[in-house]
Amino acid sequence: MAVHLYALSTCPYCRMTKKYLDEHEVAYSLTEVDLLEGAEKDAAVEEVVRLSGGKSFPVLDVDGQVVVGFNKGRMNQVLGL
Amino acid sequence: MPADKAVRRVFRPDTTIADLKAYMGPFAERLGYKFNTETDFVDEVLQSEIEILDRDGDVYCPCRIRSGDPKEDAQIVCPCIPFYRDEFAAIRKCWCGLFILADVDDGADLIGVLEEVEAGTLVEVPVARFEDLAPGVARHIKVGKRDLAVVRVADDVYALSNLCRHAFGPLADGFMDGFELMCPWHGWRYDVRDGTTDHPGADVTTFPVRVRDGIVLVSVPLGRAKA
Repeated sequence: MAVHLYALSTCPYCRMTKKYLDEHEVAYSLTEVDLLEGAEKDAAVEEVVRLSGGKSFPVLDVDGQVVVGFNKGRMNQVLGL
Repeated sequence: MPADKAVRRVFRPDTTIADLKAYMGPFAERLGYKFNTETDFVDEVLQSEIEILDRDGDVYCPCRIRSGDPKEDAQIVCPCIPFYRDEFAAIRKCWCGLFILADVDDGADLIGVLEEVEAGTLVEVPVARFEDLAPGVARHIKVGKRDLAVVRVADDVYALSNLCRHAFGPLADGFMDGFELMCPWHGWRYDVRDGTTDHPGADVTTFPVRVRDGIVLVSVPLGRAKA
């Protein structure tokens, strides 16, 4: 299972999501979009918009299934928790 | 301290959480909102906003990213309630839950993502405090993608589409005559109680209004803007 989290370093729900994933021992890779610069940042934002249809964070991508925001119910569903 | 003094916006380099609370609180109250009752969460969000303020120069929403386009980014400056009135009223809070509707007793359940409310659902949206509406003066208030003219006549408040059906004049800039709102451009008259006009087929839509605890609530079908 490939789990990738798009987050902002300043976002409380992103912190909650990380904590939730850690507590449930879910391994994931992370992009902190606001810490990127230039083309790298543009590409990350574009990917977030493509996945979620917006620019709200966090965006969790689990094998193509997308969860926007700190949404325990949806996370449990896509992560099989 | 009088409320009008507290709403003055001052961002010094050493802006504190208390400063942001003093500035935003009375302002949010005018929009029908208050800070979340979970004070630790409020402090965490405001601390994030101070970091963003130091880095980006304004208190942008911590949950969304700036595009670099000043006009677009202005819509995520906290409190961003005026830009998403209907969507926030539907979920009873702003995106991140820093603010909750004034009548919510416990904001703990509003932290995190809630069930989505279907577009088209009728939502009661706070648009103003009753005391802030002067009798006989219309005000233009944007609710989602809708432009409303909100007007108080004596102790009652009415809401109607802001667009005159003649030449699309802004009705809220017009003049009240009894229960009639007169378009400022060519004087077409609309009865604010039911939107009727004496021009056949040119009535405007009206929206149900009630005042609860001093807050004016307008019922509109939920629209959906992109996050």
